[in-house]
Amino acid sequence: MGGIWSYFSGLFGTKERRILILGLDGAGKTTILYRLQVGEVVTTIPTIGFNVETVQFKNLKFQVWDLGGQTSIRPYWRCYYSNTDAIIYVVDSMDRERMGISKQELFSMLEEDELRKAVLVIFANKQDIEGAMTPSEVANALGLTAIKHKYQIFKTSAIKGEGLNEAMEWTANTLTQQK
Amino acid sequence: MTDSKYFTTTKKGEIFELKSELQSEKREKKKEAVKKVIASMTVGKDVSALFPDVVNCIQTDNLELKKLVYLYLMNYAKSQPDMAILAVNTFVKDCEDSNPLIRALAVRTMGCIRVDKIIDYLCQPLRNCLKDEDPYVRKTAAVCVAKLYDINAQLVEDQGFLDLLRDMLSDSNPMVVANAVAAISEILESSPTAQQVLEMNASTINKLLTALNECTEWGQVFILDAISNYTPKDDKEAQSICERVTPRLAHANAAVVLSAVKVIMKFMEMLDATSEYVLTLVKKLAPPLVTLLSAEAEIQYVALRNINLIVQKRSDILKNEMKVFFVKYNDPIYVKLEKLDIMIRLTSQANIAQVLAELKEYATEVDVDFVRKSVRAIGRCAIKVEPAAEKCVSTLLDLIQTKVNYVVQEAIVVIKDIFRKYPNKYESIIATLCENLDTLDEPEARASMIWIIGEYAERIDNADELLESFLEGFQDENSQVQLQLLTAIVKLFLKRPTDTQELVQQVLSLATQDSDNPDLRDRGYIYWRLLSTDPAAAKEVVLAEKPLISEETDLIEPTLLDELICHISSLASVYHKPPNSFVEGRQGGLRRVLPPKSSSYRKHTRRGNLAEQETQAVVENMGAPAAPQATVIPGVDSLIGDLLDMDLGGPSMAQQQQMFGGPSQTPVQTSGAMDLLGEGLDSLLGGPAPAGDGGLGGLGDIFGMSQSQSYTPPQEVWIPAAKGKGLEVTGTFIRKNNQVIMDLTFSNKAMQPMAGFAIQFNKNSFGLIPANPLQVQSPLPPNQSASTSLVLNTTGPIQKMDPLTSLQVAVKNNIDVFYFSTNVPIHVFFTEDGEMEKRVFLATWKDIPAQNEVQYTISNVEHNADTVSAKLRNNNIFTVAKRNVEGQDMLYQSLKLTNGIWVLAELKIQPPNTNFVVSLRSGTPDIFPEIFQILDTILHN
Repeated sequence: MGGIWSYFSGLFGTKERRILILGLDGAGKTTILYRLQVGEVVTTIPTIGFNVETVQFKNLKFQVWDLGGQTSIRPYWRCYYSNTDAIIYVVDSMDRERMGISKQELFSMLEEDELRKAVLVIFANKQDIEGAMTPSEVANALGLTAIKHKYQIFKTSAIKGEGLNEAMEWTANTLTQQK
Repeated sequence: MTDSKYFTTTKKGEIFELKSELQSEKREKKKEAVKKVIASMTVGKDVSALFPDVVNCIQTDNLELKKLVYLYLMNYAKSQPDMAILAVNTFVKDCEDSNPLIRALAVRTMGCIRVDKIIDYLCQPLRNCLKDEDPYVRKTAAVCVAKLYDINAQLVEDQGFLDLLRDMLSDSNPMVVANAVAAISEILESSPTAQQVLEMNASTINKLLTALNECTEWGQVFILDAISNYTPKDDKEAQSICERVTPRLAHANAAVVLSAVKVIMKFMEMLDATSEYVLTLVKKLAPPLVTLLSAEAEIQYVALRNINLIVQKRSDILKNEMKVFFVKYNDPIYVKLEKLDIMIRLTSQANIAQVLAELKEYATEVDVDFVRKSVRAIGRCAIKVEPAAEKCVSTLLDLIQTKVNYVVQEAIVVIKDIFRKYPNKYESIIATLCENLDTLDEPEARASMIWIIGEYAERIDNADELLESFLEGFQDENSQVQLQLLTAIVKLFLKRPTDTQELVQQVLSLATQDSDNPDLRDRGYIYWRLLSTDPAAAKEVVLAEKPLISEETDLIEPTLLDELICHISSLASVYHKPPNSFVEGRQGGLRRVLPPKSSSYRKHTRRGNLAEQETQAVVENMGAPAAPQATVIPGVDSLIGDLLDMDLGGPSMAQQQQMFGGPSQTPVQTSGAMDLLGEGLDSLLGGPAPAGDGGLGGLGDIFGMSQSQSYTPPQEVWIPAAKGKGLEVTGTFIRKNNQVIMDLTFSNKAMQPMAGFAIQFNKNSFGLIPANPLQVQSPLPPNQSASTSLVLNTTGPIQKMDPLTSLQVAVKNNIDVFYFSTNVPIHVFFTEDGEMEKRVFLATWKDIPAQNEVQYTISNVEHNADTVSAKLRNNNIFTVAKRNVEGQDMLYQSLKLTNGIWVLAELKIQPPNTNFVVSLRSGTPDIFPEIFQILDTILHN
């Protein structure tokens, strides 16, 4: 019985997966969200609060929460942690100065108990700009080796739409395997 | 096991359940959960802990869910100000939604979230919504501006929202205009600083009037209220506004009607009262007001309270509508009482018979309050309509015969007033009154009865016995009765000294030794001292002739009335109190005043004021409230009047300050009063100003303790800057502490500092010479002023000038010497010892040859003999004697100049004529023009 049920649920993808997009302000979270949802680049203003959209990827439905990255809003990220399946952590690869802060936020987030099962996907964004840090540089700067979560880092450009599909593909696969 | 188990619980509770439901992925379940949360919130459970979870539901396509979340936000954003920021992004997005309902919903909720931290983020969405293509969004945004202004006025001004709001007055949609008007009115209420931006002008008013015909009834109310705050530039504009507002009088909504009435009442002030237009307008006002009285009782009451004000302002509007104010048997009591009040105000000779018949009916009803008021109304009719007085008195006597306790008491109170109004006419009924002596148990009735006995002691054979019977329980009596009893027994003693000495001693000792009421004790001492030192004087004081009482005793004080007229159709007009007395945080708000009135009206109000002063004077002399005293607190106008006249018998200063937030905020309308407020008020507040009740006011009179300021002419420019090479000198003369003082202000309008000031006088008629060298700040830097007071002696060289009071002065500084000539107001030469003995006065008057007498007329003086006398006394013009001949007051006055010249004057006052006739006699007739000039100035100041 159970086997048949899981077969059907896999076929129709009824269950929505919950994904959070986090990262410092100006990293490109909102642009990524709408690139994923409508496939276009939209003009954005700083997100004071959050956006939430449903994104269909292959046969999976994602409920994607894009949270504002301003210092004043970061304390409230925790309100969104429960039941989260995956976290997309967006890093501005041009913002060398704040790499440290980004690392700090990432690690304090990963300490949260509610997120211990969540999959972590890191977007080294803004790769379209010349002189951006490479994904390995970003990985080093963030100290990813110390992370116990299942994670993967991707080289992305939200403006050009590069790397997003690969990242989502990986995420989708990882999530389906987990179940 | 320890007790700690009681503190740990395995139950997760309702909040936890709701929380998990809110996080559910199923939309339906989520919505159900939010509904549960809202339900808990509505019944008062604290569900603020769910704030982030509820806010997370905000981004949804489901309008119902969105509305619920917004509702939650409005309620809890204030308690979770930090987390409210999470909602901002949604507001921003929703304000750009394609659905105008969602845009409006977002902007409305934004306005209701009173969190300082997030309003910065909301400015841009609000700006967009103010320019939205959809009128519903625009009108919602307009209201939001007013709400935002309340949270952060500066931000709204900086962001230019006020300008946007003003532009909305020209919107094509009347709904938007109405809401913009409402928002503007609210902003102006709370802060007058926005005035410059939001000031209405003729063209915006015109737009409002156009929108008026098209918008909803409540929109009309907002627009009419806004129009009523506008001041038209001339009577033509006022008339055209009235014309366009008049059709609103026929509206079915009572609020629209009353607001229209307010606009018309206000602007009618500016129109010529005798013009054809105003007469027809007055006729048009009556039917809508009458129609309001056919609504539900509650609306009737509001209408009646407003009508009460309107009738006091313009009794002609409803003078023919008496019948609609007749009480119906099934009216609620509050409507009945209010109708009764208006009936009395409308009573005139034409309808008195009808009214009296009604009142007599009412006096037999069952409701005690209503019956009392009806009886009182009969008394007031008697006082108001003289030809009907007799009928009223006989009606009252009939009522006394009923022996219904409260009717009898009430009747006695009003009969006392009737005695005051018509002396020596109805005293035959005293015997009937005395029969009911034992049944009186209320202080007011007892006091009234005692007053009657004291006043007519000579005609009541057993007056001493009656009063003695009251004296037995003296200690237990109300203070009103005690005071009255004291006065009555003293009166009795003065009339029948032989057999009442023991009685008077008894009451004096009771009042002075056994009482701890200061009023009673002081009055007792005064009587005691008067009786022991000068019984003749006592007679003059205690048995003084009483001024007549006025017809209307409970009129609202005119300035307050004017202010309330501006608030018709608001709570203020129902309470009959200005808004700042009951609305918190309104102190900063503007006081509303009627537009400048036509001259005929002004006279009318002044006379009303005079009547009030008269009643106050009565109260002082008598110690008995002659009639129900006006309970309202006089407004600014009469406060100023009181300062001038030193007639502080009314409510205490403290009360007035409380009312108007202190004298510093008192708006002053007349320029003359300004000077007085500057100096006079301080000395008054500091000095032993006789305040409090009437009894104390009387004390002031007895001891001649008038404390006031002599007339100070306004400073005039003596040397204009253009002629003084940049030095401007202004100044005036006053008399203070038996000295002539020259108040000078030096202003340096040049580019360089000035120094070395000095002053010198030429020889003059009165020998004026500076007593000390000029002391003024030196050097005086550019653009600064220095004031100084120079004491003058009258011992200098004398030379007769023409005109007599001319004075030539030289002022020197480091730049040049400047000359000017000025006229010294002659009253500064009037000495403090200018009061002549009565006999000397008579003899001197006769000695001066008749050709040395000159007559002048001083016109339009709005004072009575007492206030005139007080006013002149402040300027060292002393009233030697006062006589009343056939309703004409004659004041005999003397004054003495510093050079020893005496001037005698006779002042004829013939109320209600406001022209006074002055006859002056003196050995030196040359100075008459100056004397007349100064009398004229003082009396008009």
